[in-house]
Amino acid sequence: MYILGIETSCDDTCAAVLNDDQILSNVISSQTDLHQKWGGVVPDIAKRAHQERIGPVITTALKRAKIKIEDIDLIAVTRGPGLGIALAVGFNYAKTLAKKYNKKLVAVNHVEGHLLSVFLKNSKGLPKFAPIFPCLGLTVSGGHTKIVLLENIGDYHVVGETLDDAAGEALDKSAKLLGLGYPGGPVIERIAKGGDCNFLKLPNPLPEKVNFNLSFSGLKTSFYYQIKDWSIDQKMEHLSDLAASFQNSVFDHLIRKFSLVIDEYQPLSLLASGGVLANTLLRSRLRQLAKSKKLPLYLPQLKNLNTDNAAMIALAGYHQFNRSGPEPVEGLDISPRFEL
Amino acid sequence: MLKSPVDIIKINPNNFAQHLPQIATVIKNGGLILFPSDTVYILAVDATNPVAVKKLLGFKNRWTGKAISVAVADINMAQKYVKLSVDTEKLYNRLLPGPFTIVSDGLQKVAIGIEAENKTLGIRIPNSPYILNLVKKLNIPITATSANLSGRSPHYSVTSFLNTLSQKKKNQLDLIVDAGKLAKNLPSTVIDATESELKILRRGDLVTSNSTSLLSNSEIETGKIAKFLYQKIVDKKLSGPIVLALSGDLGCGKTVFSQSIGKLLGVKSRITSPTFVIVNDYGHFLHFDLYKLNTKLDFIEIKFKDHFKNNIIACIEWPENMGQQNLDWLKQNTNYFPINFEYISQTKRRLSFDF
Repeated sequence: MYILGIETSCDDTCAAVLNDDQILSNVISSQTDLHQKWGGVVPDIAKRAHQERIGPVITTALKRAKIKIEDIDLIAVTRGPGLGIALAVGFNYAKTLAKKYNKKLVAVNHVEGHLLSVFLKNSKGLPKFAPIFPCLGLTVSGGHTKIVLLENIGDYHVVGETLDDAAGEALDKSAKLLGLGYPGGPVIERIAKGGDCNFLKLPNPLPEKVNFNLSFSGLKTSFYYQIKDWSIDQKMEHLSDLAASFQNSVFDHLIRKFSLVIDEYQPLSLLASGGVLANTLLRSRLRQLAKSKKLPLYLPQLKNLNTDNAAMIALAGYHQFNRSGPEPVEGLDISPRFEL
Repeated sequence: MLKSPVDIIKINPNNFAQHLPQIATVIKNGGLILFPSDTVYILAVDATNPVAVKKLLGFKNRWTGKAISVAVADINMAQKYVKLSVDTEKLYNRLLPGPFTIVSDGLQKVAIGIEAENKTLGIRIPNSPYILNLVKKLNIPITATSANLSGRSPHYSVTSFLNTLSQKKKNQLDLIVDAGKLAKNLPSTVIDATESELKILRRGDLVTSNSTSLLSNSEIETGKIAKFLYQKIVDKKLSGPIVLALSGDLGCGKTVFSQSIGKLLGVKSRITSPTFVIVNDYGHFLHFDLYKLNTKLDFIEIKFKDHFKNNIIACIEWPENMGQQNLDWLKQNTNYFPINFEYISQTKRRLSFDF
């Protein structure tokens, strides 16, 4: 089955073509440069950029996959969660295409896409592996932070999630406080290298062992007020120590909570995905954790499958279609707070 | 079950009006009543009746000279019993009705034993329709001392209080008004307003530093302040959308405050930071974060103004980013309440308001 995936939930315009779970093409047109000078995603700019790019991005994805739109069997598009006016661009485009070419359509949960992104294969069907369930997933980005138990594909239980900021959002905000650029995650990672991660003492959020939720706003607050009155020179002198301290406490919190949930739910495998997984240190700490728990860990196979992409949306759409068939195009709408 | 011969009336918001005349008559005749308040159960008598007050003091094993606070219906009624300075009037307008007892110089219009030895009197205007309606009907203040024997802790249910009493004590009660288990709110915060600088004599759930601000020492207290301010707004019985504009630095509790408001409005799903999506729409509750918005076009694009319709209640974080035009529009078209959050120390925040 050929699936066309479309994703515009934030600041990346994405389209991909899959043959079942194999990626034939995966096009991502990043808007990072457009939002950089504002220090964050500007909704109006995002919407316009999506509108300009969505058509060409889809054409490129079809061309690279060497598939004509007529040969597509299913269109999968992100329904939510995400930025409403950005979501609407991809969503309306998908609806128009479905009507025009009389294609089946499914509207997909963005977080499910991230969870399933670790199961994507390349055009040769590699890597060959059959995931073992139940699998415990950690998915972390600028918009969400969730720990999800996958009983199987399509059967999810959210067992922990952030009570306030997403982990990626916390990293973005800390970068802003240090006067660093956007997006914060990659900048913090680069600057934190070689820094002393014990330089600044930050709190341990939600220390109770029975609480599987996460919280990052306390870290942000403590960080902010500890360095608030520092001069620029002081900050510059300790920039990498500060970045390392903050990044480390975000990761400590993620690992500690993930580890607690693993002990509680005793899954047979682990997965981790989402934009923050682009961070090498976090990936290596997760590998260590999996090793200590003697469990296999599934991570996205390619770096560009960590951040937002349409291949994961197409895969989630493929499974959703197999479970419950297509959705009626009329009356279907986006859902900015769509729950998993 | 209770072996007490004392009459017990079980009240709820629906049947209270029908029981009110009987309760009022007992008070008028000098009776001692166990009665629910917005904090704990209280012992109520006619505060102007010397015999009734004597009975109360005897019941509590309390010697005269230690003040007993009284509940009144409003500031006009308060003025008949205490001297109010302009500053104290402001304090009344901002904090009452609410979980506060405000101590001022008394006018010796209550029975002996109510005012303190230094002639001061603590006044309550509780946020309790039961008490307010009773006092309005009587048109005299009633005592609002917590139902416990001197030196013991207060009670949130009738049985818990009665269990501490001997049969002889139980028989001294003329009526028990039972509203079931009360929410575990602390006894009121007692504020001494007799000097120009306010003094906190007893800490309750809410602590004030002046007439237009409350102090929070924890997320839980920020939640309680949210509840108090929300109730103040509800009491205004406004029509149209309500906007709470929450300004203040990072990490001052704006999101915690918004979460509390959402919960009060019955939002069941988790209320998380809307920074990423700008606005989270929970039906009749909206949670905005304008942190990332910069341009006028942004506000047009997210159809900012269209969100404020009917009777929605919105919390807006970073309202300073909306620009003068949007601010003017909101002030004109919604009930707009600014609240300022200030960082004092690692665990202390000040929330200021002027409504």
